[in-house]
Amino acid sequence: MNVQMYMISVKGTLTEDTSREIQRFVRKCGGLILMSTQTGPLVALSDEQAAVVANHSLVGFMGPVHLNPRGLAAGHLQQIFAENLSKQLIIEDRGDGEPAS
Amino acid sequence: MGLGATVGADLLAVPFPKMILSMAQAISKGQMALDMASLQTLKVLANTKFDFIPEFTEVLTPKPLPPVSIGGGQTVTPTGVNVDFTKSPAVKLTMIQAGILPTFYQFTESIIEVKMSISSKVESQSEFEFGASLEVSADFLFGSATFSSHVNYKTSNTYSYSAEGSSLLRTTLKPTPPPGRMMPKFITVNALVQPPVITTSE
Repeated sequence: MNVQMYMISVKGTLTEDTSREIQRFVRKCGGLILMSTQTGPLVALSDEQAAVVANHSLVGFMGPVHLNPRGLAAGHLQQIFAENLSKQLIIEDRGDGEPAS
Repeated sequence: MGLGATVGADLLAVPFPKMILSMAQAISKGQMALDMASLQTLKVLANTKFDFIPEFTEVLTPKPLPPVSIGGGQTVTPTGVNVDFTKSPAVKLTMIQAGILPTFYQFTESIIEVKMSISSKVESQSEFEFGASLEVSADFLFGSATFSSHVNYKTSNTYSYSAEGSSLLRTTLKPTPPPGRMMPKFITVNALVQPPVITTSE
């Protein structure tokens, strides 16, 4: 199973509800939320589930991305990813699925 | 036409040029769709802003604490520390500037595999049967004889031919570095020093 990073852009204007709805759906598909942005969430998903998420009614566009270690805030982004991942892994142990902030 | 010629003709009938053309066209279309998707991702990333706080400053200053008695008439003065924490104003960066880049893909290898199984069988069978009988009888005044014979000839030819084929098209897709002309360059002009320093990065 190959896991990749995807940038999701929601259809129309992003609201807190739409963002949470997409994040919940990604978690339901076995994906992880790396970061929430003003366009939509940045997620880690398996190739198999990527097509399922891309077909969600709220998803406008979804494209594969990767982290450039030479980016200006690459280290900072890695910290954000690690922090959000650690929250989800703890929540997963409890059997609850709250979206990342 | 002999059987060998038939098999050869069947092998020649496999539409290799058409298969290769179809595959090449499919790869070309697929590559274009993938590139368009990556460019669309690039646009989304370029329009997504990210609040980046470049610096956190911690200033440690001494904060003397009252001496603590440790028994035996001795005292120790703990070293207290004041920590002043400040953060620099957030800078708006695009996701590309921050370090998220679209992934581009490339078809690196394509294979067309055609398997054919041709079998042909010819069976020829002949049967020849000959029989003859002679019967002779005689009594006081008469004698008679009968003679009979038969010939049976049976021949059969069976011809069977079967051809089975399967084809496999396999292609490998790999991530590739973004094309240089498609990715923006970041030019930083540092005017804090004289003369200003210009740094270009991708």
